Amino acid sequence: MTRYIVRRLVAVPFMLLGISFFLFMLLYIRPGSAAFAAIGSVGDADPRAFENFEKRFGLDRPWYVQYGDWLWGALQGDMGERLTPPHDDVMGDIIEVLPNTLEIGLLTIFISSVVGVSVGVLSAVRRNSILDYGFRGITIMGLSIPNFWLMILVIYLPALWWGWTPARQWVVFTDEPIYNLSLAIWPAMTLGLASSAGIARFTRTSMLEVLFSDYVRTARAKGLRDRRVIWGHVFRNSLIPVITLLGLQLGGVLGGVVIAEQLFTVPGLGRLALEGVTDQDYPVVLATIMVFAFVFIIVTLIVDILYTIVDPRIRY
Amino acid sequence: MSQEQTTAQEGQAAEAALALEYAIPPRQRFNPFKWARREPFGAFGLVLIGLVVFLSLAAPVLRTSPPNEFAVGPPLAGPNADNWFGTTARGKDVWSRVLFAGRISLKIGIATVLLGTLGGTLIALVSAYAGGAVDFAVGRIADMFISIPGILIALVLHSSISADLPDLPGLQRQELYLVIAISLFFMPGTYRIMRGTVLELREATYVEAAQVVGSSSFRIMWRHVAPNMFGLMIVITSISLPAAILTEATLSFLGLGVPIGGLDAVPSWGADLSGSSRRFFSVAPWLAIFPGLALAITVFGFNIFGDSLRDTLDPRLRGRI
Repeated sequence: MTRYIVRRLVAVPFMLLGISFFLFMLLYIRPGSAAFAAIGSVGDADPRAFENFEKRFGLDRPWYVQYGDWLWGALQGDMGERLTPPHDDVMGDIIEVLPNTLEIGLLTIFISSVVGVSVGVLSAVRRNSILDYGFRGITIMGLSIPNFWLMILVIYLPALWWGWTPARQWVVFTDEPIYNLSLAIWPAMTLGLASSAGIARFTRTSMLEVLFSDYVRTARAKGLRDRRVIWGHVFRNSLIPVITLLGLQLGGVLGGVVIAEQLFTVPGLGRLALEGVTDQDYPVVLATIMVFAFVFIIVTLIVDILYTIVDPRIRY
Repeated sequence: MSQEQTTAQEGQAAEAALALEYAIPPRQRFNPFKWARREPFGAFGLVLIGLVVFLSLAAPVLRTSPPNEFAVGPPLAGPNADNWFGTTARGKDVWSRVLFAGRISLKIGIATVLLGTLGGTLIALVSAYAGGAVDFAVGRIADMFISIPGILIALVLHSSISADLPDLPGLQRQELYLVIAISLFFMPGTYRIMRGTVLELREATYVEAAQVVGSSSFRIMWRHVAPNMFGLMIVITSISLPAAILTEATLSFLGLGVPIGGLDAVPSWGADLSGSSRRFFSVAPWLAIFPGLALAITVFGFNIFGDSLRDTLDPRLRGRI
């Protein structure tokens, strides 16, 4: 167990190194255009300005020097500065917006697991009832509705019907916690409902599998009450695969957060990344995506470790 | 009737029963009607898919105008007898745009899953058979791809390669970018599943048996390994297709997809839900509803069809993909 955790932890920096190298090479295939885009947005594209720009940001150096420089900085928490004026410190920007993204992401995962697991359990326990069929219909629709469309409907339909729409002027949690939550709940709910559909379906299948297992029959045979059987035996065991699914859905949730931030105008990591892409500001793109990947790797690691705690039978 | 005869008869009956139990069932001809009765959801999905394919292919003859034509009707008219789905702020016909947009969705979706599934399978084959360092390296690269959310990979590719891609016949530069970016979502997953399958199949007893009786390796590949992979590939394709269509719409919605604006603009459900048209959603909800609904119905149809196809072809996969 400890050996497994250590081995996984050792792999993390190597993964990040690989990802950073890969992203760096991809983004630096066209270094000229980056400078060009930035200069173009400042003023005229005079070749001397171009040269100066490349000198200022070290873009004229060979790629390995640039990568080494970036890596050395990144190890010390310095992600370089933005190519677009006013040349903010990228790390500063990330630290400013990261809490918002994490907040929405965590709320989403919370909502989707609570809703998904309860719907799945109800569906399985009352299988083939009207409730079950209703839930199954809703979940498969939930899987098919594009989340950005759902968000658009959430924003514009209330505006049309009641002249009211979810507020889109972001306030950080530390300033006004209650108001902040009332803002964050909308993107989290729309994203969470979409991913809860998958969790509900999975929970249902996995509950049903356990419901018909031998040890559940034994538990019933020895006279345990239904509630005891469901919660003590079935529920706990069927949660094991669901935890994996939660880990797998994380990528989708993080991708969804990018869209949610755009539509609900939340200053977050996803919007920063999109801004970087539009401005051809690759230090921003590189840094934001590295942070996303870092969060993803760490959460996946936590999920895998949780897995062994929930199910003591699993030994790595 | 003598005693012996009875025993003989009993013996025959028992043998017949045993034979019945262990016999390989005769290969049944696939009967679509039987399948539809057993998988009503899947059949309904197939009907929806057929409808979507028909509407997008037959768009020019279905009372549509060129999707980019201005002033087909009055600006921002609601759904009416002339413009069934209403019109945009510039008087473009929404019905025509929704129908023509189905083409790009299907095109990108199909091209993507073909590239993703075939590419993933090919990499899995090479990696599983090469083994050793190659297998290890490919596995770690797949790990890397899996740990970056797909949309973000598309973002990076957009700012790196998308401007340098060539226009292929039948596939514009931006379309090619979408196909590459989206198929990179599916390749690592396909690779993982396929690699596992190849390794499993290589060790299977029937492959060993085939080797013992002296089948050539081509015959083993063709008769024993490939059929088991084709089913899986079809399942992966049908499960990935709705996700690919959804991703195309999402990327176009974010402005990273097909070209928007201008005369060579490609109508796309995702693009029509974004950008400038969003200003009018609260006064002209049909602009928001119809493209999204078309997208949702398409994805829904492929989803339920893919699910029942998986259950039919490979029930063991339930819950795995």
